[in-house]
Parts: sequence; structure tokens; C-alpha cells
Amino acid sequence: MNEIVMNNEVIVYLLSETLLYILLFIASIVTVGVLKKWNFNHFTTEQFTLENRSYLVMTIILFAIVLKIILLPYFVYTINALSDLVPGAMCGAGVIKANAYGNPLLLIKIVILFLSGLWLSINHLDLKAKCYPYMKMKSWFFLFIFLLMSAEFLLDILYFTHIETTKPVSCCSVIFGQTAGVNSLPFGLDIPKLLTLFYLLFGLIVLTILSDMAWLSMVASLLFGVVAYYAVVYFFGTYIYALPTHKCPFCMLQDHYWYVGYAVWGLLLLGIFFTLDNALISSLFHRKTERVKKISLLLLGLFVLLCSSYVVVYYLKNGVLL
Amino acid sequence: MVILENISKIYHEGTPQAFEALRAVSMKVNPGECVVLSGVSGSGKSTLLALIAALDKPSRGKIVVNGELISKLPDLHASAYRAKTIGVIFQHFNLLESLSVEENVIVPLIHSGLHLSTIDSMAKKSMELAAISHKASQEVKALSGGEKQRCAIARALVHEPELILCDEPTANLDRENSLKFIEILHALQDLGKTIIVATHDPLFEGLPFVNRVLHMEDGQLECGKNE
Amino acid sequence: MKNSAFLHFLTLLLFKQRSKHSGAILISVIIIFLLSAVLFLSSSLQYTLLSTLQRQGDFTVTRVEAGKAANTPTAWVDDILEMNGVSHVAPRVYGRYFFTPRGKSFLVVGIDFFDEQNTQALEALVKNIDLKNFLSRESMIVGEGVKHFLEAHYFKEDFTFKTPKGTFKKVHIFQTLPPEANLLANDMIVMPIDLAREIFGLHENEVTDITFNVPNDAEWDTIITKLHLKFYDVRVVDKREVKKAYKNLYNYKGGVFLILYLVSIVTFILILYQRYAMVYSTERKEIGILRAVGWSIKDILKLKFYENLIIVLVSFTVGVILAYLYVFVWSAPMLSAIFLGSSNLENHVSFVPVVTFGTLGSIFLFYAVPFLAAVLIPAWKISVTPPKEAML
Repeated sequence: MNEIVMNNEVIVYLLSETLLYILLFIASIVTVGVLKKWNFNHFTTEQFTLENRSYLVMTIILFAIVLKIILLPYFVYTINALSDLVPGAMCGAGVIKANAYGNPLLLIKIVILFLSGLWLSINHLDLKAKCYPYMKMKSWFFLFIFLLMSAEFLLDILYFTHIETTKPVSCCSVIFGQTAGVNSLPFGLDIPKLLTLFYLLFGLIVLTILSDMAWLSMVASLLFGVVAYYAVVYFFGTYIYALPTHKCPFCMLQDHYWYVGYAVWGLLLLGIFFTLDNALISSLFHRKTERVKKISLLLLGLFVLLCSSYVVVYYLKNGVLL
Repeated sequence: MVILENISKIYHEGTPQAFEALRAVSMKVNPGECVVLSGVSGSGKSTLLALIAALDKPSRGKIVVNGELISKLPDLHASAYRAKTIGVIFQHFNLLESLSVEENVIVPLIHSGLHLSTIDSMAKKSMELAAISHKASQEVKALSGGEKQRCAIARALVHEPELILCDEPTANLDRENSLKFIEILHALQDLGKTIIVATHDPLFEGLPFVNRVLHMEDGQLECGKNE
Repeated sequence: MKNSAFLHFLTLLLFKQRSKHSGAILISVIIIFLLSAVLFLSSSLQYTLLSTLQRQGDFTVTRVEAGKAANTPTAWVDDILEMNGVSHVAPRVYGRYFFTPRGKSFLVVGIDFFDEQNTQALEALVKNIDLKNFLSRESMIVGEGVKHFLEAHYFKEDFTFKTPKGTFKKVHIFQTLPPEANLLANDMIVMPIDLAREIFGLHENEVTDITFNVPNDAEWDTIITKLHLKFYDVRVVDKREVKKAYKNLYNYKGGVFLILYLVSIVTFILILYQRYAMVYSTERKEIGILRAVGWSIKDILKLKFYENLIIVLVSFTVGVILAYLYVFVWSAPMLSAIFLGSSNLENHVSFVPVVTFGTLGSIFLFYAVPFLAAVLIPAWKISVTPPKEAML
């Protein structure tokens, strides 16, 4: 445990998370104060102070989300670097599985980023209006996100302090590969069906975004996220590694693959986020979201293009598919 | 253009030190008018001006400027209102001493979304109007009182506001500069601006271009000379 | 572009107020410099050590006696060769020779010059070695530290070793290892294996240890078990362990430094917070003026944030560049002594420049996050200055 915690990257990571958590804790206390006493129609100095304090919360959350966006790839980089210290791990996949906290931690990080992004959208709308119509709603929303952030912080500490450097872990070939079982794809899909679903869902998202069908685009994008994960790990990834048995979501984040993993997962996550954002804002708040639509289409389009290009390039270079 | 309805401002409300700076003030200023608020210091004229400029919020009542209710605006909107509609000239000039005249003048336009070249030309125009172009690159701290005031005027005009508010503008000027200032005000009124001046300077008495003089005492408005 | 007016104003303001920020920038540069120097040094050392390790054999086998390393029988070489999956078995002779008058030591390494792997490794160190000439008489190749030391003790062409048998052995100094090798080979002497045997008094059928390769990773654990079954008094060290040990060493050393930094960063945060929270009335007035002419709280926060970001970026760049020069151009005087230990021979090492995105990212995060976190609340506090109050 000590060797892990003494690792330079882990120290930097935990320090950043701790400082962030302290600031967010302050923000949560201020938010509780705002919730208790907020009344836009009062003209007291107290009310004006509350408005000023809400700016503090906004600033802290904005700082936190920017930092968490940077810390997520840094977290991945850190666990990749730890793979040398954990026996059996060749990349981050093994390190994540070193204890039970790894996967939930990763998942909760992504969820928090999504929710924080949505909070910022709502905040933007709230500021544009002339009477802070969403102040109470966004305050409760932030408190909920803060609960998740507290869980994340706890998981961070538990995860890093429970990585054994003496117990071997499975490598990604065991977790994801042939040895993991006959078919690790959900719902009994096989590769051709998975790919059909992949491209179909992408088409559906494009259609639903362009025709303003908010709820449908939301459902489609969430489904697409799950399908895309499997598609990348079990199909597109093999073309990135040029090895039909190498199935791993983490190895593509390493330098010998030109860090393309960051682009792949980044585009996917951002694309889904903006689709959800667009859906929520246009349906719940009835606002026009032309720019957000364009961004989400662009990001998801680039993602699909990037993944497909690896297959196409491989075929052109070698004349066969894997 | 400017309508005040039953405006009250109470400092430290609810405490023993509560102080009523304005009591149920109602007034109306029409577009293109030049109105002088006269009264001794402490009568509440500066407070009133601050409320019209949305620099502060009233405890009670309504303020409507150009059809927009500005007494209850959140900060983002209040500052947008200030940046678009109002130009304020202060008694103590309130310039950024370490910057030059031109740099001070462009401050209101920095977040306007305009291109730097547009901002520069607007600043030039404004400085010419205020007769301070010859000192454009000079640091403010090296200017005389009258020059500083003209720099403040240029800044107040650069974004072409409709409403100009002056709070004791001649209090720190000598007679010659005060007269120059009044000349500029006249020119501004000719351009169609609405002007409200809060002052107890006797030079403002009997000016031909002033439409009304409203007298304030103890936080209340008294009827005064009408046009 | 919309932002150019803002940027223009920002740089103007920063420039005019540079003395206000100079204290923060100075401390920042010092902290970044120290941190970067330590990290650059340790990653450079790690890189060199690990790349040297790459060229070594996968396994090293020694005989132990009472828990201590003892001379290993040459007969083991044949036994190991018999094992499946083993390739390239090479016995080695080496040890520390003490120059008793001064208490200094040399690392004497005996190499079989007809072995390909060994010669390749040596050739990596010494280009164009004239092997024929070298082997024609009893010669050795020495590291720079050894050369200087011997010269200072009037051993210019040869050196006479004292063997455990009580005899003297005069060996010719053939060549010096290049300065690039100083990190590992400063106090090293390379000589033919039989000569080394003589100097350390080893029998013909004894060596210090045996190295060999096992090309198939999956078989490593099996080989280890087999070795233990074959010889009861064997100690086996495989490359993975050595790699891990090196990494841990540098992490530990780096970690100790990092703990020190944590302490200094916490102090830094407190100082920063104090400094920026002490809002001077002139700054309050300036913010009040900006608010009065139409800047919103958001605009002021934007200004403050970019102000601080520029300070962070400038300090970071300056600190990192200084550290780079210090470590890779001036060879880190003083700091290198801490990392390498200077108790043996004097060592003039130069370090291989190894700077990765990851290292830079870590340094940046380690500095920027505490800095920005510390100034966030003071920046907010001053941004919400009520314009009226500030102007009075």
C-alpha cells in the first residue's frame, strides 16, 4: 500500500482531489445557506449577500468541473503508470481490478462529470433570466452532486490504499479476452449484430437531434454509449492494436498507440454529454440549443469516423480484415 | 425615460442603526431633459443617483428606465444595463490611476463583444467630445483635476449611453474648469442625451438648458422650479 | 475577435501591477524549480538504470550460504543449460576491490570476451575497442572515477592488485570508459574473467553468479520453481523484481521529497491566501470602478481568473526551464550528490534528458491546483465588492 501511495502521480492526484473536495465542501455549506433564506423578492442586504454567495458556489463548481475533466485522464494515466508496480498488470485494466473499488470509482467519476456539466447548463440559463428562476432547483441539484462527490472522494482514498502489490491481478487479456468466456457481449450479441446496432443507433441519434425529438435522442445516446463501449473494446480496439485477441479499453491510452484512447473515449463521452444536455435543456427548459446540437453531432460523428477509420486503414493496408 | 415610484432606501434595516436615506421619492424624467437635483450633502441625492444607475437596490419602490424595471435586476443584467444605457460621472473622478487616458476610456467597452479597432475609434470620438484627445496616452495620475474630469466624461460617453448621471461633478474643480464642464453638458443635451446632475454648486442655478431643478432635503423631494 | 480587447486589457493591467504579483511569482518559481529538478533527476536516473537493465539477463542466480551470497559453482551452468526454455547462460565474476590505504573501492567486473552478449554490452560502452590488442596482455578498462583516482596515486599506466593469496598482479590500464557511462561505471573496472578470478582468489570452477535469459514470459515462474528444486542453496533474482525495486527506490526517494513539498505547498497556500485576502483599498477601489462602469461580477471573476492563470503559466514555464538547465545542462550540482551518494569515488555524471508529458503534467497539477484553489475565495471576495462602497 505504501509503495502505491508514495508514487509521485498518486500523491499529486490525491492532493488535487483533496483540495477540490475542501472547496466543494465550502460550496455545499454556502448552498445550504442559500436554500434556507433565498427569496428574490426581498430587498434586504441579506438577500444581496446571498446573490453574491451564489457566485462563489458557481465559481467553485466551474473550477471543480474543469479540474475534474483534467483529473480524469490524469487518473487513467496514474493507474497506467502503476501497472509496473502491480504484479500481473500490463495496463490500467489490471490495476483497476486490483480491488473492488476501482470500477465503481471510474463510473462515478464519469457520472459526476456529466451531472456537473448539466448543472453548468442550468446555471447558465438561470443567470440569463431576470429573476433567478432555477436557484432553488439548482441548489438541490448541486447538493445531490456533492453527495456523489463525497462518495467519489471516499472511493479515491479506499481504492489507492487497498491496492496490493503482492497479490497478482488479471491482465486485460483475461478480463476482456477469449479467456474471459465464450461470449462476453451482452444480450447474446455477436460482432456483426453489435456493429449493426452501433451504426444504426448513431443514425438514430443524428435523426432525433436534427428533428428535435429530445427524449428519444436521450434514450438513443445512452444506449449508444453502452453499445459503443462494447464495440470499441471488442471490435474497433482490435484494429487499433492490430491484434484480434487484444481486447482492452485501457491499452489504447498508452503512448505506443499514440494515446488515441483519449481521443476515442473523450469524443464518445463528450458527444453523449452534449446530446443529453441538448435533450434536457430543450425539453425541460424549452430553450433553443442550436449550438449544442451542432457540437454533439460533430463530436459523435468524429468518434464514429475515428473508430471506423482504423478498420478501413487496416483493410486498405492488408487487404483482409482481422 | 426614467420613472421612480415611491422609492425608499433604508440602510441597516431592522437594526437600531437603521437610517432612511430616501423616503417615498417619486419622480419622472423625460427623454432629452436635463434635470438638476440640488440639496446639501446628506440629502440623499447621491443615493438616488446610485439607485438609478443600478449601483444599489432600493428597499422599496420601483425604478423603470426606458420601460425596463431596473430596481430588481440580478447582477448580470444590472451591469449590462449600466454598460449600455448609463454613463456616470463621479465627484472623485474614479479613474484607474495607473492607466492612461485612452486605456481608462475603453474600460466600459471591454466586455461589449466589439472588435478592438471599433472600440478604439469609439474611444477617439468620445475623447474629442470631451476635449481630452491631446492627452490620450498620458497616465491619469499626471493629469490636473479638470483634465481628469474630462477623461471621466470621455469614459462616461464612450459607449454612447442615453442617460448621463453626474454626482457632484464640479466639487473638485475650479471655476474655470467647472464652466468648461457645464459647456460640455450643454453640448451633450444638444445631442439628445438625458442628463441628471446631483449638485449643490450654485453655478448650476439659472442655467438656460436645465429643464428642471428638483430640491432634495432629508431624503425627500420637494417641488422646485419647473420649465 | 471578441477576446482581443479583454486580453489587451488584461496584459495591460498585469504589466502595470507586476510588483503586486512579484512575491507570488518568485516563491512559485522556486518551488517549481526544486520540484522539477528532483523529478527530472529521478526520471533520468530511472531511465538510465532501466535501459541498462534491459540489456542484462532476465535471471541472475547465486549460491547462498547462511543467507549470504557465496561463490557459485560453475557446474551449475550445465544444469541450467539443460532446462527447457533457457537460453544464453553466462557466468560472471565480479566484486569490490578495496584500495585499503584510502578506504575507497572499485567494482571489478570480469567478462568473458568471447561471449557475444557481454561484448555487445561492452561495445555499447566502449566504441571501437581493439580486442586483439586488449587481450594480448593483461589489461583492464576503467571508469573515469577510477582513472582519476589512480592517477592521483601515481598509477598512470598500470595498477598492481593484491590478491588474497598474497601475490601481486600488475594490470595494464588499456582504456577509460566514456563519461556517459559515469552514472553506473564510474568506479568500475572491466577485465577478462580469468584475471578477475585471480584477483579475487576464486577457483577455476567458481564464479560469482550466473545470468541467463528465458524468452517466454509465461515460463518465468516455472523456471524459478525448477531452480529451487534443483539447487537447495540458490537465490534467484528475476528482472521484474529488479525493475520494481528500482521504481520503488525512486518513488520512495521522490516520495520523501514530495512529502516535503506537500508541507511547503500547504505553507504556500496559506501565504497566498493571506496575501490575496488582504485586499488593499486601492484594489477594492479599482474593482468598484470597473463594476460601476458596467462590469458584472462574472466579468471581474474572469479577469481575476485569467490574471492568476497567467501568473501560474509564467511561473511554471520559468521554473521548468530553469530546472531543465540545472539538471541537464549543468548536471545538477549538489542535488545529484543526494541522489547518487558521493561517498565512494568522485563522480562527474551527466544526465540523459528525460522529460515526459506525464512528468510535466504532474508538476503542473501539483503547483497549479493549490495555487488556484488558494486564490479562488479571495478573488471571489474582491469581485463581489459592492461598487458604491468601494468608491467611497
